[in-house]
Amino acid sequence: MLVLSLRASSACLLLFSFLAAGCNRSDEQIKVYRLIKPSSESTPPDKDSLASTNAPVKSTLERVPSASSNVATPPNWEPQQLSEMRQASFLVRGANGATADISFVKLGPSAGNVLENVNRWLGQLAQPPISPDKLATMIQKVSTPRGEVDVVDLSGKPESGDEKTDGRIVAGIASDEGTSFYKMRGNRALVGEQKENFLKWVRSMRSDTGDQTMTQSGAPMSAPSGKPQIKWEVPAGWSPNPASAIRYASFAAGDGSGGKVDISVITFPGDGGDDLSNINRWRQQIGLAPIDMNAANITPLKSGETVFATIDIAGANARTLAAWTRRDGHAWFFKLTGPSPTVEKEKVNFGKFVQSVRF
Amino acid sequence: MLRKIVDLITSLKLTIVCLVAGMVLIFAGTIAQVHLGTHEAQVRYFQSFFVWWPPDSHDFKIPVFPGGHLIGAVLLVNLIAAHAKRFQWAWRKLGIHLTHAGLIIMLAGGLFTDLFAVESNMRLTNGETKNYSEHPRLEELAVIDTTNPEYDQVVAIPETVLQRNRIIEHPSLPFQIIVRHFFQNSRLQMSSEATGSTQPIADRGPGAQVIVQSVPRATGTDEQNAVTVAVEIVPIDLASGAVQPSLGTWLVSDELGAPQTFSCAGHTWQLSMRPERFYKPYSVTLQKFTHEQYAGTEIPKNFASRVTLIDPERETNRDVLIYMNHPLRYRGETFYQAGFQKDDTASILQVVHNPSFLAPYIACIVVAAGLLVQFGYHLVGFARRRSRVLA
Repeated sequence: MLVLSLRASSACLLLFSFLAAGCNRSDEQIKVYRLIKPSSESTPPDKDSLASTNAPVKSTLERVPSASSNVATPPNWEPQQLSEMRQASFLVRGANGATADISFVKLGPSAGNVLENVNRWLGQLAQPPISPDKLATMIQKVSTPRGEVDVVDLSGKPESGDEKTDGRIVAGIASDEGTSFYKMRGNRALVGEQKENFLKWVRSMRSDTGDQTMTQSGAPMSAPSGKPQIKWEVPAGWSPNPASAIRYASFAAGDGSGGKVDISVITFPGDGGDDLSNINRWRQQIGLAPIDMNAANITPLKSGETVFATIDIAGANARTLAAWTRRDGHAWFFKLTGPSPTVEKEKVNFGKFVQSVRF
Repeated sequence: MLRKIVDLITSLKLTIVCLVAGMVLIFAGTIAQVHLGTHEAQVRYFQSFFVWWPPDSHDFKIPVFPGGHLIGAVLLVNLIAAHAKRFQWAWRKLGIHLTHAGLIIMLAGGLFTDLFAVESNMRLTNGETKNYSEHPRLEELAVIDTTNPEYDQVVAIPETVLQRNRIIEHPSLPFQIIVRHFFQNSRLQMSSEATGSTQPIADRGPGAQVIVQSVPRATGTDEQNAVTVAVEIVPIDLASGAVQPSLGTWLVSDELGAPQTFSCAGHTWQLSMRPERFYKPYSVTLQKFTHEQYAGTEIPKNFASRVTLIDPERETNRDVLIYMNHPLRYRGETFYQAGFQKDDTASILQVVHNPSFLAPYIACIVVAAGLLVQFGYHLVGFARRRSRVLA
């Protein structure tokens, strides 16, 4: 019986080998896939959008609740470029080149429990893992209006070998609708100095809008943490839409019968691409052919000390109003797009909105 | 007749012939790397059924020696057939059976690796994020529908398809792509600077002012072919399937830089030639590339890449240090630290997708177990006999 079985297996393996030899290699097949566009504006060069082989990516990551976007931070916390995962990011500089990196990341419920994450961080600091009992003695419970955050303070050897930038981690983990990570990592002494500020920041990030201790008051709207500062006045009738990794702010307007218009505020480090490329892309989005710069009809619009370039592009059914300026190493794009009748109604509001912008 | 064939494929002589042929092939292939480069020698000697002479002739060539695929396949068949024919179950032969099974796994694993493994590169500058890797040698013609404001639809046509097919049709394309000229490797020159009488082969886009010269195929490991193709775009009437008047011929090459745009069926399309891409459902960001040298020399001591792996689907966000002999393994792919740009501004990771990467490990374990059992069995028997004699 065993002999027969082994002979049959051998024959199958032989047959399978020949079948495999007859298979087509993937480099001989035409592939079709979709790539989500980075944004409606020009992105910095060499930055690819997150893509899938079949369909546009829908990120499963959750965003920081809007209440948390109004958090003020100590003046020596330098906002850093945000990423797909980092919804807040700061760098603190201390004496003799010491630095500490602060971040907020929110993941889903499967991001590991507190012990797993603490042991992962200990591993990064060349420390042995700890038991649940030991963890219980290390955790500092930080009470916030929306629940408790488990905070740990870990020290060890710098992973990079550079004591100026590594060696200590103070981190908070909260489990609510997902798992929130608040983390400060850097030079041992500097992290110690900043620990109190960090805990205040954690408390404020977890607070509602009513908590004024760490929120900016008086501003009609302030910038999310980690982004350049800007203020504006939102016209009546415009309702805010959720911001995203690409959109700094987003609004919708319209009466419903004539269709809604979409208003976006987008900013990029650098110049955000040349004007003609942006204009022609906006034209393409509403079905118009490219034009040259002479036919672009760009109009200046003064807002305080800032001069915006504006353009009005009307297609057969859709229309786009856009205003942009470049300031302090960033390009800012304000854009309103929608059905032509609704855009016409909102044109005055859009002009007022742009003129209310203050950097 | 059948008996003779069975005797042949199960004979030990065939095994010896295959092993000797394999040794000769490895020796010749290794020497050939001096002139051909690693990749070309590998293709001609080991990833082929025959070694051909003359090697570059397209008209007449004869096989002069069995290639790696043929020797490996015959050896595999010989091993399996001989084992099946002579198999007799006995505990004292367990070691032999295990050793042969290990060798079969090793050979089959080699075959599967050759057939299904894909190697590509991911080149990252500090701070850069990518969610695709690129083939180190093969290019593809990317035909991109950029009309939708939300996404681009990409039809990627490998260079092997361009090389073998004159007319390419695909359900995603409302036009035929007629390959007028294909250059495996080329040099481009502005027609205004050309001295000969050669005329441009394209009549649309910047290629209409460019002369293409065919140059020998790149064979070295670090050399890259500049694939250039002249393609004519012929729209198809979607209702009747009838061919409509041609839109013209474009010259597409990685050397031309920016993609070229045209309109067809109310959509805007881009044409570009680029290294074949392998997109992934996750992204890799290079946080820092470190290149250490021995003090006072330029001899590399260590080079490492600290990367952040982000996978929204699996809710993964972790930092990984990739350095020599410490690759990152994720979702069936292995990221090795393969190289770096000369000024240390970019790190090059080799990305290997090999479904049968475990085969050599399993084979070695099985062979080792077989040898241990076999020698152990004889050792125990010898010890027992010796103790009986002494007693």
